[in-house]
Amino acid sequence: MKKTAIIFFPAFDWAISPTHPEREERLLYTRDQIFEEGIMDLPQIKEYKPRMAEHKDIARVHFCVPDINAQITEAHLISAGSSLVIADAVMNGEVDNGFALVRPPGHHSMTVAHGNRGFCNINNEAIMVEYLRKKYGLRKIAIVDTDVHHGDGTQEIFWHDPDVLFISFHQDGRTLYPGTGYIEELGGPLAYGSTINIPLQPRTTDVGIHHILDNLVMPILDEFKPELVINSAGQDNHFSDPLANMSFTAQGYAVLNTKLAPDIAVLEGGYSVETALPYVNMGIIMAMAGIDYSNLREPDYSPARIKESPGNMEYINKLIKIQLANFRQREDKIAQNRIEHQKMYKYHKKIYYDTDGINEEQSTQLCMCGKCAGYRIIDSSARARWEMNRVLCISVPTYGCPECQAEAQRVYAEMKNSRNNFSYIYLQDRINDVYRSLEPARSLETVL
Amino acid sequence: MLIGIDVGGTFTDGVLFGEQTVLATVKQPTDDRDLKNTLLKVLDELLKERGGQEINRIVLSTTLVTNLLATERGDRTALLILPGPGLPLETYRIFADTYFLKGSIDFRGRELEVIDRGEVIKALEAINALGIKKIAVVGKFSNRNNKQEQEVSDIIQDRYPEIQVAIGSETAGQLNFLRRIVTTYYSAMTRSAWEEFVEAIKKALVARKINATVDILKADGGTMPLLLSNTKPCETVFSGPAASTMGAVALTMEACNSVVIDIGGTTSDITLLIDGHPLYASKGARIQGHYTHINAFSVRSIPMGGDSPLTIENGNISVESRRRGVAACFGGQSPTVTDVFNHKYHLEIGNLAQSTEILSEMCGKNNMDKNGLCQAVEDIVIERLQTTITEMFKEWENEPAYRVWEVVHGRRFDVQEIIGIGAASASIVPVLARRMQVAYRIPVHAEVANALGACVARPTLALKLHIDTQNGYYTIDQEGLRGSIPLGKSMQMQDARDLAQVHLLKMAQERGMERYAADAECYLEEQFNVIRGWNTAGKIFDVGVQISPGFIEEYQGVRK
Repeated sequence: MKKTAIIFFPAFDWAISPTHPEREERLLYTRDQIFEEGIMDLPQIKEYKPRMAEHKDIARVHFCVPDINAQITEAHLISAGSSLVIADAVMNGEVDNGFALVRPPGHHSMTVAHGNRGFCNINNEAIMVEYLRKKYGLRKIAIVDTDVHHGDGTQEIFWHDPDVLFISFHQDGRTLYPGTGYIEELGGPLAYGSTINIPLQPRTTDVGIHHILDNLVMPILDEFKPELVINSAGQDNHFSDPLANMSFTAQGYAVLNTKLAPDIAVLEGGYSVETALPYVNMGIIMAMAGIDYSNLREPDYSPARIKESPGNMEYINKLIKIQLANFRQREDKIAQNRIEHQKMYKYHKKIYYDTDGINEEQSTQLCMCGKCAGYRIIDSSARARWEMNRVLCISVPTYGCPECQAEAQRVYAEMKNSRNNFSYIYLQDRINDVYRSLEPARSLETVL
Repeated sequence: MLIGIDVGGTFTDGVLFGEQTVLATVKQPTDDRDLKNTLLKVLDELLKERGGQEINRIVLSTTLVTNLLATERGDRTALLILPGPGLPLETYRIFADTYFLKGSIDFRGRELEVIDRGEVIKALEAINALGIKKIAVVGKFSNRNNKQEQEVSDIIQDRYPEIQVAIGSETAGQLNFLRRIVTTYYSAMTRSAWEEFVEAIKKALVARKINATVDILKADGGTMPLLLSNTKPCETVFSGPAASTMGAVALTMEACNSVVIDIGGTTSDITLLIDGHPLYASKGARIQGHYTHINAFSVRSIPMGGDSPLTIENGNISVESRRRGVAACFGGQSPTVTDVFNHKYHLEIGNLAQSTEILSEMCGKNNMDKNGLCQAVEDIVIERLQTTITEMFKEWENEPAYRVWEVVHGRRFDVQEIIGIGAASASIVPVLARRMQVAYRIPVHAEVANALGACVARPTLALKLHIDTQNGYYTIDQEGLRGSIPLGKSMQMQDARDLAQVHLLKMAQERGMERYAADAECYLEEQFNVIRGWNTAGKIFDVGVQISPGFIEEYQGVRK
């Protein structure tokens, strides 16, 4: 028996829009199921009250344009804050593990937030990771994203962070939003191999995913030795999900969580509100609390109908081999990158915000530091229907070196005293836990 | 005139109340083996100078069911459970004689798996062979559709008409299968004993020519008619603390945040009032360690009261929880908490000199300073109370919340007053209030607040309505009530509210409490659009209405 913390925050008074998948009804039947079962009354379960995250918790991860209030609602603060309550409960030893069963979700939100992408504004897991580091001094953390969609936001946030292992399995990006998450995406030059993507064929079953878990995910976790494992727990791999095409079952999800044994799970997507969510959520809770889930099954479950194909197993085995190799050569590769690349590593990319219809262009410069993950400068321009924002974001890693910190501060000060055409300039100094935002046109600086 | 009688664990208290005055009070030791007689003795004492005809209403609060459950002396009862998929069956094997059956209903009230008649009959044969005469039938989500519970019940009635059946949807229709099982089982188990008690009371009243309404106090601080109490004996558990709390409210009648503390001889019970309304236990009454669907006040009991004896061992002072007798000032043999406060503050309780003497004796034996001893005991007592009170505040402030609004507008318990009732509160509460820096009050008649609370409490009634327009039905969490909604009917929140009110009024009429129906308030309003594809396929409403605890119209406070 394990003691499991739960925050159930269905946000019964929040929706993106009345008929949107991310609406009030989403966790209604999950509420019915878990409350009818009486699972909150069991001695293994401790229910916690949600709280609101502070703006500083968000600033530790995101550059919200123009400011945090523009990107969030109270529901977002509560969803993020609930993850922090669970983190505290686990770290204080009040419980063995915890599940933030909350909405709105967050795993498509990236470092710079101009709007809503894939139903997400701010990234709950990332906010929790930086909080855990600041408050409890954790360093190595693994996030396993089990949502059917590629966790592109979380991947982007920790792209340059060698201490956060991000593993995402998802339906192949050629067949589903957001269209990323290929095996070639392995992390930035100084964090190579700590991003591992596992794109799966549509209709992959429990058998396929458990095989990957046993032969790829668990071995990688064992070698990486994280201080904490987070399950970014989407539930849309379920065979009944209306937005995706996979074949997982509630039992499959429960077994996955037994094998993975996450310290913390945070709910992400999953929109089969009646046929999957009530049962999958029960499965996750039961697995985390060490409760026997052999009596758990969803109404349309028929094991005979769901069979893994030999062709897919062949593909899976090939993928396992490639990704194990990629992971295991990460240190060599990083050392090589340090030699090959110049002092500042530069790249350019475009980001589309589907929910809000925003097009963003980013140019990033990363300091190829010899001692730390390197500070970063992001020059980001976003065009929404009627306005254009160009912002400059300077970020110092949590475990950055004094030189990178000083350099980042210098760049910010220089920009502050120069004429430029940025709408906003931000400095994210995670070493000092100070977050500055400057509006040059009005010479207005705010500090969190 | 009105009579209230509270049968407690140690004492039974009674008051006779009329024309806004306490006309008589009685206190008798409780005879655990014969509660009915204890109760009638108190009644006769109260009626000494009056005729039975002058009494209009009697309210009884009794520990009968609490005692039956605590000592497991109820009737042997079998449980037929229809668990469907979910938690392992072992979770629901709480009691002996439990049988699991096929059959399953989901959260929308849809039948997922039918019952197996043969299996039911086999279980019944086994139960019958054991000579069990009570059966509780409980299904998961039977509150959304009680078809299967009814089918099983029909088979029982058909084959074994002598067996008494309680079904979950009629006994406890709120969400939470685990608590429904416990509540239904306990109801089936105590029903006969309760019926016997009701019959005996009816007879005794006839013999005394009393033609009054007789009500029973429930754990939620409200009353129910004696004649309608047979199906819900479990609602009478923990009516003692409810009586005390209602008494404190009756004696103060102020809409503020207060702590009610009832300090008796052996225990102290603490409850909270929020804007003058007693706070409920969020998970229902807890019986024998199991949560139930019985609405009860949130009560914390500390095994410490005025008669708690002091001991000193190797220089360590402690307050024991086992009572040895009355305080020394009343002729007891050992020093108690009351003696300490009596001596320290010259309270003139009983014989003050005896308190002082026994404390001196104790100090002499242990080579200890008397002032030091008194201070130490006071600190222990006050700290224990204060810690518990703070925990209760925190617990209330940290109750889970499911809406943005609730989290944004957090809760804080700012206490404005401490209300002390019970025999020992007069000596302890002033010190506690000073320590907590809040006002306090020890109302007149505080020593019989419990009986007075029962005496003037009004009936309560609550129901929760669940409407599912897509599936064309509604259910009510009381008595297994349900009905249909014409398919395609468009409903708004106001329609849902009206439907809930109609049912509340109907139930109130059946209980003869329609005059309170106008006070019914909505405590829950939820509405969800059921979207399938991108269209609205229906709506789901949850509406809760209640006549909350309060006082009968005749009661306007106690004249000083």
